[in-house]
Amino acid sequence: MATLSEKVLTEAERNNRAGAEETGTTEPVRPAAAPSTPVLSVRDVRISDQAAGQEIVHGVSFTLTPGKAVGIVGESGSGKTLTCRATLGILPAHFEVTGGSIEIDGQEISGLSSAQWTALRGATISAVFQDPASYLNPSIRVGAQIAEVLKVKKGLKRREAHRQAIELLHAVRLRDPELVYTQYTYELSGGMLQRVLIAAAIAADPRILIADEATTALDVTVQAEILDLLADLRERTGLALVLVSHDLAVVAQLCDEVLVMRQGEVVEQGPTHEVLHHPQHEYTRLLIAEHEQYGLDKFLATDAIDATEAAGAVAAGDKVEESA
Amino acid sequence: MVRRVLSLTSGRIALVILTVIALLAVLGPFIAPDNPLATSPDTLADASGAHWLGTDYLGRDVLSRLLDGSRVSVLGSLEVALTALGVGAIPGILSVYFGRVFEWVTLRLTDTLVALPFLLFAVAVVALLGNGITQAMLVTGVLVSPLFYRVARAATLAVARSPYVEAALISGASIGWVVRRHVWVKVLPPIAVALAQTIGVGFVIVSTLTFLGIGVQPPAPTWGGLLASDLGYLTQKPWAPLVPALLIMVTVWACNLLADAIRDVSGEAGRALVNNRKARANRLAGTDSDADLAHVHAGGA
Amino acid sequence: MSGEPAGPVLEVTGLDVHYGLRRRRRQALHDVSLSIAPGETIGIIGETGSGKSTLARAALGLVRASSGSIVIDGEEVGAYGHRQWRALRRRGVIQYVFQDPLRSLDPDVTIETSLAEPLLIQGVSRQEAATRVRAFLDRVRLSEDLLDRLPGELSGGQRQRVAVARALVTEPRLVILDEPVSALDSANRVQILQILKELRADGVALVFISHDLGSVAGVADRIAVLYQGELVEIDAAADVIRRPQHPYTRLLVRSAPTLHSAAADRAERETLRALLRALLHA
Repeated sequence: MATLSEKVLTEAERNNRAGAEETGTTEPVRPAAAPSTPVLSVRDVRISDQAAGQEIVHGVSFTLTPGKAVGIVGESGSGKTLTCRATLGILPAHFEVTGGSIEIDGQEISGLSSAQWTALRGATISAVFQDPASYLNPSIRVGAQIAEVLKVKKGLKRREAHRQAIELLHAVRLRDPELVYTQYTYELSGGMLQRVLIAAAIAADPRILIADEATTALDVTVQAEILDLLADLRERTGLALVLVSHDLAVVAQLCDEVLVMRQGEVVEQGPTHEVLHHPQHEYTRLLIAEHEQYGLDKFLATDAIDATEAAGAVAAGDKVEESA
Repeated sequence: MVRRVLSLTSGRIALVILTVIALLAVLGPFIAPDNPLATSPDTLADASGAHWLGTDYLGRDVLSRLLDGSRVSVLGSLEVALTALGVGAIPGILSVYFGRVFEWVTLRLTDTLVALPFLLFAVAVVALLGNGITQAMLVTGVLVSPLFYRVARAATLAVARSPYVEAALISGASIGWVVRRHVWVKVLPPIAVALAQTIGVGFVIVSTLTFLGIGVQPPAPTWGGLLASDLGYLTQKPWAPLVPALLIMVTVWACNLLADAIRDVSGEAGRALVNNRKARANRLAGTDSDADLAHVHAGGA
Repeated sequence: MSGEPAGPVLEVTGLDVHYGLRRRRRQALHDVSLSIAPGETIGIIGETGSGKSTLARAALGLVRASSGSIVIDGEEVGAYGHRQWRALRRRGVIQYVFQDPLRSLDPDVTIETSLAEPLLIQGVSRQEAATRVRAFLDRVRLSEDLLDRLPGELSGGQRQRVAVARALVTEPRLVILDEPVSALDSANRVQILQILKELRADGVALVFISHDLGSVAGVADRIAVLYQGELVEIDAAADVIRRPQHPYTRLLVRSAPTLHSAAADRAERETLRALLRALLHA
């Protein structure tokens, strides 16, 4: 097993990075590693169901540089989740990558051992999913679960892990981090749990975060909060994002590039602005029409809320306060 | 339900065994080659042409005694299961609908029954009501009824709060309609599992009681009674307890097998299981069901 | 809406609903008043726990109001007992479509039986129910060969259409829909909304309950916003969206994902959240 030396090596690298983090030199470190080098490159990936002998995903390609965000839109069963799972190395049983290549931070993942995967996940690539409650242990305080990630992934001592976990809870803009640290999953709302999960996901300073329908089950206002948080993290730390959703608008709000998937095929791909304004494929047009005919865009596209009205928000709030 | 159980190998085996046992119970006394109570000087004989399974310590034909005893054994265990079903399942379903007082009283009653040690209780009741298999079995039935009460109540509760029951109520359905149309189908599979299990347990209880001499008077044969008397003569005929023990074991095993099969095929998961088998069979037969499967997998992922 | 003047299908006045007993008693709805005219489509928007589902359940008699009045089709139902509710429901005036189409259809019952159930409860003969179900399928774009399938064998969109069809088969005058499109992807969403639009043209009053302003904007005539158990805003859809008054409504408008969200919205959302927090603590 040649993995031992490799493990030590990656460990050392990670410690260096963690050290850099603490001294507050994060910002220069990442862009210094040439911003154009992709942290994730997916090239013509094909995924097959070996049991049925069927190809489910017929070639997906995209590259992700630090601070960039790619969105994948599609209906359920379009293969968007399988693509994400393939990049995380967690495809369900009897599904396999049968073509193309995936490189994470310059490392081809097809030959990785499970120890190498463990080192990679959390530290380089991380993910959050739709149902946050099922990814947390209900009988352990949520803070301790984040601290555990820090202890395992960054090798921190108990007290330091506790301190950094609270910092993370603060970073995901939970209002009372000390209180949340001591709470259990049932005491937190869906939006708060998703924040906790994001905190755990970014605990080991990953370079890529995959958010697979992470806001689908949440209220619209909470969804916006989470999306704002992701945008914020991306700007502050140069985190690269893969955002998966069935709603084109969710993806459009945050991403530079959009992939539209249908039945395992990428039917449209390009810069968000291009896709929104010059959709080529009929399915993309349907996604846009849905918003323009039935969504808020029906009202806003013709007569957008202007800035003067927006500025009046606070005044209106005062009025309500008086009447209440 | 029956058809789905039959689609499983284990279900088929269980049903075949239980049918044979039921036939034994009905026809046993008629096909017994000898009088099961007739003694002969030929005691503790080995298996021979005249006595296929040999004779016991009084020279009675063992095969005849086994066949004759099967009716009491089978009827006894059925009695246990059906009593438990009636006393347990019906109040279990009704406890959800009949208001808080009924619910509280029945719940406390079942708690009390669970707390009683049932073999001891059976002995006490037999002492009180007289030594008869029916008394003993009814008492045992009442004592295992909390299982049915709990199972039926849990299944009913799960259904009673489901949106489709509310949808029926919103359309103006009565409680009776809801129980007939929605609750009954959902409660049946878990009750069937409990019933199959209780029949198995019933055999063990009948055997245990007759082994102790409770319920059946000495000359009348039962499987448990045979086992008990055979054990006294292990030095002379070491293999003698094997046949009654095997009969009891196979029956109990078949009941448990049936219970498992019912559990496997009931509900959503059961349907999926049966459908998956069908799909696999179709695929092996070369039909083109791959596309559908691909959809299912993609949807699941 | 057009047509001769008729009384509202549903009129709720000063509705208060409480949950729990004694010390755990909590107010779910506070002084809510709302009136729905025949053929009108109204959207009720609110976050989890805002009381929007409680409002629907109270109108259906599944939850008892502590005070206030509910008038359905001219009948004051506030004091109704079980029997009277059952009689009212059997007339099929008001129907409900549940949030989760999978769980709102009995998994062990074929689609045909599920669809026929409301008719059979009304006492319609089996044969007539079967004909009426079949006659109805076209309107919800379901094909006849789905009838002998089980809910588990249908796609999410098909199930939702079955759930809608079941609510409509008694030809109600008012249908309340709880998050009818939230769980669906775009194609199915458009299809359901299209069906509902056609219904509205037939003169059925619709109540859309949702957490997402965007999902009802295209079909609702009026929009009501529930916040913390109170009705904070009710107006024509276009007015609510273009000129939201209450800060929560403003936040809703800014939060709904749109294709052309501006980066400036982020800062504004932040201000609105802070404002709402301040209001809550005041």
